[in-house]
Amino acid sequence: MQYTCELKGQALIVTLRGELDLHTSPEFKEKLSKLFAANLDITNLIMDVKGLSFIDSSGLGVILGRYRELEERGGRLFFVQANPQIMRILQMSGFQKISEFASSTSDVFERI
Amino acid sequence: MTTTNWIKLEIPSDTRNVAFARTAVALFASQLDWTLDELEDIKVAVSEAVSNSVIHGYALQEGNVFMEVSYHGPELRIMVEDFGKGIEDLEAAQEVGFTSIPEERMGLGFTFMHEYMDEVMVSSELGKGTKVTMIKRVKEQES
Repeated sequence: MQYTCELKGQALIVTLRGELDLHTSPEFKEKLSKLFAANLDITNLIMDVKGLSFIDSSGLGVILGRYRELEERGGRLFFVQANPQIMRILQMSGFQKISEFASSTSDVFERI
Repeated sequence: MTTTNWIKLEIPSDTRNVAFARTAVALFASQLDWTLDELEDIKVAVSEAVSNSVIHGYALQEGNVFMEVSYHGPELRIMVEDFGKGIEDLEAAQEVGFTSIPEERMGLGFTFMHEYMDEVMVSSELGKGTKVTMIKRVKEQES
């Protein structure tokens, strides 16, 4: 799994590529936790999942954990370009209730 | 050609092997006529079952996960077994949101297995281990 993190104003843009599961999620979680701790003004987390080919409950747990931090900051969680399979598992997990879906990161910046 | 086939896998309880397990099972399962979505369903279900064995069964310690995958006609059967800690309350463990590690997990592993497979059977004994058997059937194509 590969990912990049980019801070843009109060938004953290995370671009994921590959598979997020039990093996790949701990290091990813640590990276995001550190970024959140070091940047208390992050209020929007934008997950670009176009290149994400697989996710299970281990990976979703990492994202949910960051959402809980965002919630305390009054922030918002966005998923960009989720393919149908990723969208299905996000919806089944209830993420449609706590996050927003967008077609591009620029679409997100128009909303925030 | 016979309509029956099977494989057996034994893998160390290692997080690296979760991806191997789901990919190997999906590759085997692809001998049947699934849609791509259904193959993804199988991968998620296997990933959850094997992750449970690694995280909960063996608590990230040493141990082996055993898998038997077979099909007879359109019915795929996947068995994932560990000889780890076992589950104290099987009913509670399969409830949505149940997790013994709340800060790390969503408690959706069994939910995904039930959602993505046609049948899921779990047997477990404390201190002896857990066996998950999942069945998924190829749907008849509409003509």
